[in-house]
Amino acid sequence: MIRILTLAWLVWLEMIRRKDIYVLLILLAAFLVTLMALNLFGLGKAVSYLKEIGLLLAWVCSWILAVSVSARQLPQEERQGTIFPLLAKPVSRMEVLLGKWLGAWVVTGAATLVFYVLLAGMVALRGGSFGGVVLAQAWLLHLGLLAIITALGIAFSTRLHGDAASALTYVVTLAAWLVLPRVPDLALTARGAVQTGLMVIYYALPHLELFDLRRRLVYGWPPASGAAVLLTLVYGLLMAAVFLTLGWLAYRNKRFTRGALL
Amino acid sequence: MSNAIDIQDLVVEFPGARGGAVRALQGLSLSVAQGQVYGFLGPNGAGKTTTMHVLLGFIEATAGVARLFDEDVRQAIARRRIGYLPEHPDTYRFLTGRELLFMAGRLFGLSRAVLNARSAELLALVGLETAADRRLATYSRGMLQRIGLAQALVNDPDLVILDEPTSGLDPLGRIRIREIIAALRERGKTVFFSSHELSEVERVCDRVGILATGCLVAEGRMAELVKAGEPAVAGEPAIAGESLEQYFIRMVS
Ligand SMILES: Nc1ncnc2c1ncn2[C@@H]1O[C@H](COP(=O)(O)OP(=O)(O)OP(=O)(O)O)[C@@H](O)[C@H]1O
Ligand SMILES: [Mg+2]
Repeated sequence: MIRILTLAWLVWLEMIRRKDIYVLLILLAAFLVTLMALNLFGLGKAVSYLKEIGLLLAWVCSWILAVSVSARQLPQEERQGTIFPLLAKPVSRMEVLLGKWLGAWVVTGAATLVFYVLLAGMVALRGGSFGGVVLAQAWLLHLGLLAIITALGIAFSTRLHGDAASALTYVVTLAAWLVLPRVPDLALTARGAVQTGLMVIYYALPHLELFDLRRRLVYGWPPASGAAVLLTLVYGLLMAAVFLTLGWLAYRNKRFTRGALL
Repeated sequence: MSNAIDIQDLVVEFPGARGGAVRALQGLSLSVAQGQVYGFLGPNGAGKTTTMHVLLGFIEATAGVARLFDEDVRQAIARRRIGYLPEHPDTYRFLTGRELLFMAGRLFGLSRAVLNARSAELLALVGLETAADRRLATYSRGMLQRIGLAQALVNDPDLVILDEPTSGLDPLGRIRIREIIAALRERGKTVFFSSHELSEVERVCDRVGILATGCLVAEGRMAELVKAGEPAVAGEPAIAGESLEQYFIRMVS
C-alpha cells in the first residue's frame, strides 16, 4: 500500500508543479466571467443559464484533464526511462498501474472540486445558489465517472503511445456518452446476432450518463436517494477495476523499449 | 553462502528487422560471489545492459535462468536487497534531489525518520548537499548521475548493479565513485558494474568478465587475467606485459 501511495503522490506532485492544471482553471474562470459580463441574448434567467453552461464547461475541463493526465503517465515513464529505476525497486507492475491510476484519479477529482467551488462562487455572485447536498452528490458521482475515465486512459496507455492512448480514451468515452444510451433503440430495429451483439455492448460498456446530476443542479431538484448514489459509485469503481485488470493483463509481460535516448 | 548473482545459459532475443530475431545474449553463464567487485566489460552492443535488465526483471529471458541471492529474478522479492543505477540517468525532473531519495526509500518501505537521516548521508556521500533542494531539471548530466547513484544506495543494498557509473562524470567524480565502490566492498557488499573505463576497472575490481556479442570471451580474477602466461579462468591467457586494455582489445576483436 505504501508503494501505491508513493506512486500516487508522485503523480500529484507532478500535476501541481506543471502548468496545465492552472491553465485550465484560468480558462474556465475567464470563460465564466465573460459569460456573466455579456448576458448573451439578453437572457432573463441568466442564473440558470450560467449554471448550465458553467457545469458543461466544468465537465469538459475535468474530462480533458482526466484523459490527458491518465493516458500520459505510463508512456512518459517509458519515454524518460524512469520506469527502469522504478521497477528495480520491489514494486510490482500491478502496483505501478494502481499507483498511477490512484494519482490520476485524486488529481482530477480535486481539480473537479475546485471547478465546482469556482462555479458555485460565480453563481452566488449572480444571486443564485446550488443545493448544497445535490452539489456534493454531483461531485461524488463525478468522482465515480473520473474513476472510469482514468482507468480507461491507464489501460489504453499500457500498450499505446500517450497521444494514441488519449485519443482512444476520448473517442471511447465520447461514444459511451453519446451513443450508448441510444443502443436499445437501435437494437429494436435489428435482429438476430446483431441484436444480441448490440445488447452485449450495451451492458458491457460503462454507462457514463448514470453519473450525470447536472439537471438536478440546474433546475434545483431535490437530492437523489443516498442508496442510488452509493450504488452508482460502486458501479463506477467496479468498471474502473475491470479496465485496470485488463490493463494489467496487457502490462504484465510488456517489454519496454529503451526510450528516446537509445 | 549463495552467490549474489547466478546466470546460467541465458539467451535473450529481440524481434529484429523483417521478422527475424536479434540475439543479444547467446547462452551467457556467469556468477558473482558475495562481497566481490565484478567489472563487466565489453564493446558497445555486447549485451551488458541487456544482462542487467534481465537481472532486474525488466525483460524475460528467452531461455536460461538468472538468480539473485538464490531468488529467481522474476520475483519482486529478489529486488529487495538490490540497488540499481541505470545507463541513462534520467529521472523525475519535477522533483528535488532530496524528494527523489525520499520517494525511492518509500518504495522500499523505509520510514520517514530513517529516510531523513539516510538521504542526508547519501547526499553528502555523492557531494550534492548544496543542490539537494533544487529541482532535478536544473541538474547537470554528472549531477544526475550522482543523484542516481544515491537513490541506488537508499535501501543499503547488499548487491549494487551499476550500468556505466562513471560516464558523464568529471575526474573528481570518477575518483569519488571509485572510493564509494571501495567503501561498499569494505562493508562486504557486492558490486556488479559495467564500464568502458578500463583503467578504472583495473583499479577497483576483484574480478572481470569480458562480453562480446552476447558471450563471455574471458573471465577471471583481475590479478590472474592480465598476468602473463597464467591461464585466465576462461578465455586465452594474456601475453607478457599486456595491459588490461591491450588484452581487452585482443579478446573482443
Ligand atoms: N529493445 C531492443 N530491441 C531490439 N534490439 C535490442 C533491444 N535492446 C537491445 N537490443 C540489442 O541488443 C544488443 C545488446 O545491447 P546492450 O544495450 O545490452 O549493449 P551494451 O553492452 O549495454 O552496449 P553499450 O556499451 O553501448 O551500453 C544490441 O545489439 C542492441 O541493439
Ligand atoms: Mg549499455
